[in-house]
Amino acid sequence: MKVGFVGYPPDEIMREYCSEELIDLDNDLGRVEEKDDLYLPKITCSVIKRIFNNALALRPQKIIFDVGEGKCDSGRFLSWLLREYFHMDVVETRNQNRRGRGTVICDSELPLRRKFELILDGIVAPKDYKLGMELHPKAGLWSVPCWDARILDLFPDGTRVFGWTRCFENGTPDDLDLECHVEKDVPTVFYAQTFCSKNILAKNLARVYRGLYVDCDGRLTASVKAQIEAFLYLRGAMK
Amino acid sequence: MTVFADLGSTWSKVVDTSVKIIKTKEVPLDIIADFACGHNAEKRSKRSVNELIALCEGGLRLIGEKNFLLVDVGSRDTKYVVYEDGKFVQTGWNQECGASQGFAVELLEMYYGVDCNELETPEHGYPVTCGLIGISRIFDEIIKTGDEKKAVARFIKGIAMNVYHFTGRPGRMYLSGGLCENRLFMESLPCEVIPLGRLVLIEGLREIWKRDNGQEES
Repeated sequence: MKVGFVGYPPDEIMREYCSEELIDLDNDLGRVEEKDDLYLPKITCSVIKRIFNNALALRPQKIIFDVGEGKCDSGRFLSWLLREYFHMDVVETRNQNRRGRGTVICDSELPLRRKFELILDGIVAPKDYKLGMELHPKAGLWSVPCWDARILDLFPDGTRVFGWTRCFENGTPDDLDLECHVEKDVPTVFYAQTFCSKNILAKNLARVYRGLYVDCDGRLTASVKAQIEAFLYLRGAMK
Repeated sequence: MTVFADLGSTWSKVVDTSVKIIKTKEVPLDIIADFACGHNAEKRSKRSVNELIALCEGGLRLIGEKNFLLVDVGSRDTKYVVYEDGKFVQTGWNQECGASQGFAVELLEMYYGVDCNELETPEHGYPVTCGLIGISRIFDEIIKTGDEKKAVARFIKGIAMNVYHFTGRPGRMYLSGGLCENRLFMESLPCEVIPLGRLVLIEGLREIWKRDNGQEES
């Protein structure tokens, strides 16, 4: 059975479906027909649009949709839309786990793109990694998993991961304290998808920690790329 | 001879034995700069430099202060850098609505036959969130009042206020770009404005080139 999931549903629910074909609907699943313009307002974040398009294109028999504080209101309303008007079998969850399992990947020496791959894969196939810790990260990235993963290639290896992605690895997706945890001496880029309410956190954390706040609607734009490159260069993180 | 160029979307600044400010569409095809920045730099130069880095370097060269905000308003975008205690702390680059930047001002001046340097600075501008909506407000005001000059002036005030808010409502800003020559725009900014002219990015390129080559440019 094809089972889609959205956000980070509780581990015990995910385990119930571990023998099924699990599909992360938040992720880039290749080219699918895009119907979001017919049903969603333009000011919808690109991740929510992607979930919607993936769900309609792949038609999983069941969707486990985390609608708790670890996701967002747009996600909760999208869950309603898929259930009520597209007659999908949606199981709503609210992951309020507080037993953290650590942030080994976020703090490791790995390239940033690899970190995100391992963290996202961890929800379907959890593993314990023994990774060397980056003791002196040159840069930090505070973000959710980015719609356009090319942004990750702009950062040096060992870039520390903060924000919701850190909560994700820790298994505590609605832990706001952890989501706002940043190391003040690490030059950090605070990135949010345009139209996502996490922009409120990103802008203010960037202000407090002297980081770079950027938002991007879907594809990485030339100006966002140039800002990140300049910030990392001027703060000594890249040559 | 090293050729430096700031190859923007509509205007280019090319410096070799002299300084040339020319429309980008009229830059001779055989000119390939040694060192360039701008939207057309990658295909028209041997080495292109990130515009924000060029802006920083230009600011450091031209501004003799440790704390400053430097804003470059281009034909299609606005970018700024902030330095505190001589260190870079912040940057921003807004190019999502080119309709409300320098090129729109040029088009309006041409179409309505007005010179912004001769217009009175209005007390209030339009809320120019989007350039196209802003321009439609100009049309509305002209239909209502017939006063083209006042309508254009209020649009420019709106653009200036956008720049002011985008850069964090500063008390003082250094201004780079062609709008340094636009009195109305500068007076529409509700803060102290120090114009640095159109060659700030070129100055930045020169600084980077000198550092990379350990010498003065020939």
